[in-house]
Amino acid sequence: MGASLETAVNESAAAIAGCGSVSATGLGLEPLQSAVAANASALQRREFVIGKTSQSIVAGFVPDEIVEQLRAADSAHADSRAFLFAAAALKQAAKNAGRILDSVPAARRGFVLSTTKANIEALDKLVRRQSVSAVAQRQIQPAFLAADLAEQLDCRGPVQCVSAACISGLSALQQGAAIIRRGLADAVFVAGVDIISQFVLSGFNSLKSFDPEGCRPFDKSRIGLSLGEGAAAIVLVKRKLLSSSATLLSGCGTSNDANHLTGPSRDGSGLALAIRRALAKAGIAADEIDYVNAHGTGTPYNDNMESLALRSVFGDRVPPFSSNKGIFGHTLGAAGVLETVLCVAALENNLLPGTPRLRERDPVAPDSLLAKPRTATKLDCVLKINCGFGGTNAALVLEREAP
Amino acid sequence: MNDFVIHAASYLGPEGFGNDQTSLRAWPSPLKENLARGELDGLHWSLLSDSDPSRFLRMDLMCRLGFMAAELLAVNFDAMSDARRDRLGVCAESFTGSLDTDIRFAQTPRPSIFAYTLPSTVVGEICIRFRLKGPVLSLISPATNGANAIAEAVEWLRDGDAEMALCLGIEAMNGSTANSVSLPENLLSRDWHGAALLLGHSENSPREKPFVSGALAEVCRKLCSCRNPLAKSIR
Repeated sequence: MGASLETAVNESAAAIAGCGSVSATGLGLEPLQSAVAANASALQRREFVIGKTSQSIVAGFVPDEIVEQLRAADSAHADSRAFLFAAAALKQAAKNAGRILDSVPAARRGFVLSTTKANIEALDKLVRRQSVSAVAQRQIQPAFLAADLAEQLDCRGPVQCVSAACISGLSALQQGAAIIRRGLADAVFVAGVDIISQFVLSGFNSLKSFDPEGCRPFDKSRIGLSLGEGAAAIVLVKRKLLSSSATLLSGCGTSNDANHLTGPSRDGSGLALAIRRALAKAGIAADEIDYVNAHGTGTPYNDNMESLALRSVFGDRVPPFSSNKGIFGHTLGAAGVLETVLCVAALENNLLPGTPRLRERDPVAPDSLLAKPRTATKLDCVLKINCGFGGTNAALVLEREAP
Repeated sequence: MNDFVIHAASYLGPEGFGNDQTSLRAWPSPLKENLARGELDGLHWSLLSDSDPSRFLRMDLMCRLGFMAAELLAVNFDAMSDARRDRLGVCAESFTGSLDTDIRFAQTPRPSIFAYTLPSTVVGEICIRFRLKGPVLSLISPATNGANAIAEAVEWLRDGDAEMALCLGIEAMNGSTANSVSLPENLLSRDWHGAALLLGHSENSPREKPFVSGALAEVCRKLCSCRNPLAKSIR
């Protein structure tokens, strides 16, 4: 590739300018990073009535005091937690991006929302004939939630809403990067959000997906997942707007297993295909990946499939990898964005996250699984992967430019 | 490489069903009258095919519409090589998404329908049926014309991410489901349809005479002309 063409490609690439999050660890990046550094789990046990029986559920709930704080600051959206979480994460990401956004007019700002169920708890309440505000009802519809968030951010460029099961977050980041690459916007806010609701609890409970003691990704005796809730946001900007070295979204790939609706392919071939597509888009070889942030839900089938996919792509040299769902649970539509925020922090701090709640590594999992956080000797390229219902797989390559 | 063509197109809606090789055929009575009223329970696989309907019977309304639209494309996906199916992307776009199933699940949670409370499940069903391995994308948009799905598919072809792309525009809401809960009217689409386009490059067409690329604009125009009162509710 000629030097001038290479420059042109890099200038229209999507770079990360700011991040924000709300999760079981609390509001903002600091508590999230502290939990990562301490390898601590923020999962908690709460009692729910599901159907007609009371059940004890271990999950990553956004702390009540955070919810009350957000409600107090925005009473108009008091009963739309999906809006409150996403808006809070976006506000932090914009603040984190700083002055760079001042140079981007509203018409050149895009927005992409990732969610599986938006403000679904309003539907739960309507069905039970409980009172729900008009705005909370409106935000049951993901496109309306996206429109309302975009309006609050004063984004008047392209607005999209991705709802693609548990790969929604990575798909949304892919769409955000594509909007910039195609020249349709200079900055794109990408937010992922989902809330723990009766609806979602009933669904996963009916599929017997939960580990009653909390998830243990890649553990030999793992038996299920733990849900999480919250939001994460990333501000993507056109590379040339940043003067210093940046973290780039350099490639993304998706695939379908074409196998089963609720279970992953047994051999990991679908995920391996998505990873290879992402590597090809990024123009890098597998051995250039320094760390993999896995989907790692803690279900027997998912983690087994991921282990096989990693072995398929990387052979006997699987890079250090970990799952962070033991920290904040499986946040569904927020997962891809939230876990990418962790990857960005890892690149900035040179710290590889561990796998909280792991007791004994499943022998099927490659032995490069990180039980605990570790300082990286070299960390330039990170691979983030997610998989979901419908047999979907996604992979994203993040690359840190040399200073 | 920018010479994109429509290999095939299909549509089912209140007016009838058909594909680019057939004229639109009207639904038989009394189904026709029910469908015109938005009562969609009578839509059944046997109207299109005598093949095994077991998978179809498990599906929710959105998947049934997408599945029927894909089947109606009259392109024999099964005859494609594995390599070609690996490079065939699927992009679905909808406004109501899985809301019909969401309402039914919220009223009576059943494990058999939980997987259908996602608007992306239709993509999975079609990938399973035709052994397609992506890329994949599922969008929820305020306008119900499927134009964003087409735009994304064109980008996949342009960037070399896919060799062909199946674009789906689906609106699925049973009148009885919509009336069973007091949701605001602007959350519900009464304009039901399933539409599918197979896009690709001119050199890989399974047809002797694929549509010229101008036909894309024509189909988009027709799809866009489906009146969507909901779009007005977006600020």
